[in-house]
Amino acid sequence: MEKYDVVVIGAGPGGYPAGIRASQLGARVAIVEKEELGGTCLNWGCIPTKTWIAAAGLSAELADAQALGIVVKDVRVDFAAMAMHKNDVVDTLRNGVNQLLKANGIVLYNGAGSFKDRNRISVKGKAGSAPVVLGAERTIIATGSKSAVPAFLPRHKRVIDSRAFLELKKLPRSLMVMGGGYIGCELACLAAQLGVEVTIVELLEDILVQLDGDVRREVRSHMEKKLKIRILTGNAIEDVKCGDKGVAAKVGKESIKADLLLVSVGRQPVTVGLELKNAGLSAGDRGFVGVDDHCRTAAAPVYAVGDVIGGMMLAHAATSEGIIAAENACGGKLRRSESIVPAVIFTAPEAATVGVSEADAKRDGLKVSIGKFPYRALGRALAVARTEGFVKLIADAETDQVLGAAVVGVHATDLIAEAAIAVRNEMTVEELGRTIHAHPTFGELWMEAAHAVHGTAVHAAPSRRRK
Amino acid sequence: MPEAQSIQMPKFGQTVEESTVVAWRKKEGDQVAKGEVLFEIETDKATLEVESFLEGTLLKILVKEGQTVPVQSVVGFIGKPGDSVPEVKAPVAAPKPAVGSAGPPKQASVPGPTGVGLSAPSAAVSAGVPAPPGRLKISPRAARLAKEKVIDPSGISGSGPGGRIVEKDVISYLASRGYDRLRITLAARNLAAAQHLDVLAIAGSRSGSRITVADVRTAMAERPKAMSKMRKVIAQRLTHSFTTTPHIFVTVSTDMTELMGLRVKLKKKGVPYTVTDFIVKAVIMSLKEFPGVNSSTDGESVRWRANVHMGVATSLEEGLVVPVVRLADDMTIAELHDRIVEVVRKAREGKLLPDEMSGSTFTISNMGMMNVENFSAIINPGESAILAVASTTSAPVVRDGKIVVRSIMKMTLSADHRIVDGAMAAGFVNAIKNRLEDIGLWKSMT
Repeated sequence: MEKYDVVVIGAGPGGYPAGIRASQLGARVAIVEKEELGGTCLNWGCIPTKTWIAAAGLSAELADAQALGIVVKDVRVDFAAMAMHKNDVVDTLRNGVNQLLKANGIVLYNGAGSFKDRNRISVKGKAGSAPVVLGAERTIIATGSKSAVPAFLPRHKRVIDSRAFLELKKLPRSLMVMGGGYIGCELACLAAQLGVEVTIVELLEDILVQLDGDVRREVRSHMEKKLKIRILTGNAIEDVKCGDKGVAAKVGKESIKADLLLVSVGRQPVTVGLELKNAGLSAGDRGFVGVDDHCRTAAAPVYAVGDVIGGMMLAHAATSEGIIAAENACGGKLRRSESIVPAVIFTAPEAATVGVSEADAKRDGLKVSIGKFPYRALGRALAVARTEGFVKLIADAETDQVLGAAVVGVHATDLIAEAAIAVRNEMTVEELGRTIHAHPTFGELWMEAAHAVHGTAVHAAPSRRRK
Repeated sequence: MPEAQSIQMPKFGQTVEESTVVAWRKKEGDQVAKGEVLFEIETDKATLEVESFLEGTLLKILVKEGQTVPVQSVVGFIGKPGDSVPEVKAPVAAPKPAVGSAGPPKQASVPGPTGVGLSAPSAAVSAGVPAPPGRLKISPRAARLAKEKVIDPSGISGSGPGGRIVEKDVISYLASRGYDRLRITLAARNLAAAQHLDVLAIAGSRSGSRITVADVRTAMAERPKAMSKMRKVIAQRLTHSFTTTPHIFVTVSTDMTELMGLRVKLKKKGVPYTVTDFIVKAVIMSLKEFPGVNSSTDGESVRWRANVHMGVATSLEEGLVVPVVRLADDMTIAELHDRIVEVVRKAREGKLLPDEMSGSTFTISNMGMMNVENFSAIINPGESAILAVASTTSAPVVRDGKIVVRSIMKMTLSADHRIVDGAMAAGFVNAIKNRLEDIGLWKSMT
């Protein structure tokens, strides 16, 4: 039996950084992966969607380029080339992960890992081959999640999840999206920009409910008015029937037809086959593996990170947790997982948030001051003719602490990084506002919003409500 | 123009000299009917509701919430809208005796946990809270620097005239405490300043050695908070009793099997006696047999009490009170039951009058419902003993040379050893035990 200091189950954005960090700390590390290096994020999630979103966004920009004085005629989508670019990017990154693992001396086992006991992991490779048993001083579970597909939906090639969507060989003419969360909305925007007729069906009263109302309205308005996406809220999808020609469903009193039905109603943790009970563990509420602030499970030598533990089910949260779990597994000073996790949504326009939202503040009865600044008042935004959207800072009214931030508009997903630093380091609005931001850049939005919190914005007329 | 009628701070009980308005239930301009609750007060013994004797509109509130005034002070006015309200200055609290000079505990008292009472102290708890810099001998520049650095200057030794703290003292203090190495987030610093916390006293823990908002919030939560008036009285009385009365503790095990059986039978017949009722009755009978236990001493003289006024310790959310069943020795078990139910209900509802909480000659503290093996209580000042009753549990005991399972209850007597000798204490608890085990006695009584 090969013995390792740390065995990581799953090589996604939680698992492989955990392995690398453990190796950096001198541990002998093995990683067990049953599919591809990079997990959902690299192969069927974050990365491939962004290659297509880049293409779709560019086609939309070209259509609007006249505003800048550029006339582009005959914009055509070559979907096969888009797919090839996507696959190239995925291959490159996957290969990169493989190189990194090798360079760090990490041993990779292809197969499904399961616990034999707290300190032994069995890896079942190809059918017919005998499982390999690894001795594991410490184990980090990083098995991730998969799309949840409600049982009432027919199992049919026209009913697809986000992973199957990314494997499409041909764009559908029309697409019905079940679930108006961030995955559904991103794919809906991307498809609509490429000319697909899209209908989103959301059971709740609005799409993207985790966003504040003002941020949500900005995104929804663009999706409906500019991208012509139909958004039906407050009703369930019922009576889904699949045939040769397409998918039909009932939403409220209306009948909807489309070529494909994309199911994006959330993601569920993957623990099947892990044999958690052999380690004295069990999947808890809704299938998640329970951990404490230090990513420790109830079994002393076992840690867990990423989507499988729930919380913010995002790749970057998983990476941070993976690194912390590896550090805790290798001894040294016990570290807590980070509590400030930015969230980014690649819709058109993009949206991003970090920390406390205005709705959170209201729910928790926090006394906050809000500062907003619109893109249309920013020189750079006007210059590039991308003036929709705004940034918003949520600050503690007593201490001036930047508690949270939201941004909707072009480059929102990059802009949130600055706000994340401010929130995590408990900076004050005053310090943020006094920090010189280069002109003319989108980053100035934060500085202006900071001034707006105190009612001292230079580039916005004084609010009439202020005394 | 007719004149509005005044509302007075009522005097609840002989010993109450002042009371605090805790909350007004009506606001100025509200209609008030006779018998409606106008406001709540807190004496040093209890919180009580004050009902209106008058009818009309509450025209003026003179004594604000949180203010303490002597009894019979005018606290507000009721009348018809438009009635003239006399010009009256808000009354002020009567001067209190200084702490430490309270002298011997007053006989009339609010019971604390296990029934101990004493007059309320007036000193506020202040340990660990930086004093406002104003009271210190400190130069304005030094005070400003301390404030800017979010530190408490009270621990700095001053080198100025008369020990006055000057700026250079603060500077060298900061250097000696390693202020330069202190890492704190901006928001944490602002919060600490707003909360008058000393950043040097807040340990960083969540994010390495850096002090975060979470650390400041922890410090805020850990900051000493003033006790409630009731809790202060409890603390004072307990401390007084336990430090001035030499306690002796004597424990007996009582076989309750037969009495519990009788109780079940009685219950089926609709007679709702509780274990407490039987114990109270057994104690009263035993006090008659051992009158020395129904006495008290101040260390100079012994005062025997002809009657038994039985204190029944009752736990409330905010503390413990001991309602008193007066002249308990004149009552049958049925009368005792009814009276105990009544005083305990009043205690739970906060409706006991101060006189119903004082003057007991003996106290019983029954923790039978709280699953305890055994415990000892602290004597209520003014008494010579208290009986602590624990839970009745099934236990193996030896009867006629055989091990059998019986329902056993332990009772511990705490007695003032100055007047109750060990032999008397032992005789007394065994008298109670023997009565409780004498099933014929109870059958004859019920």
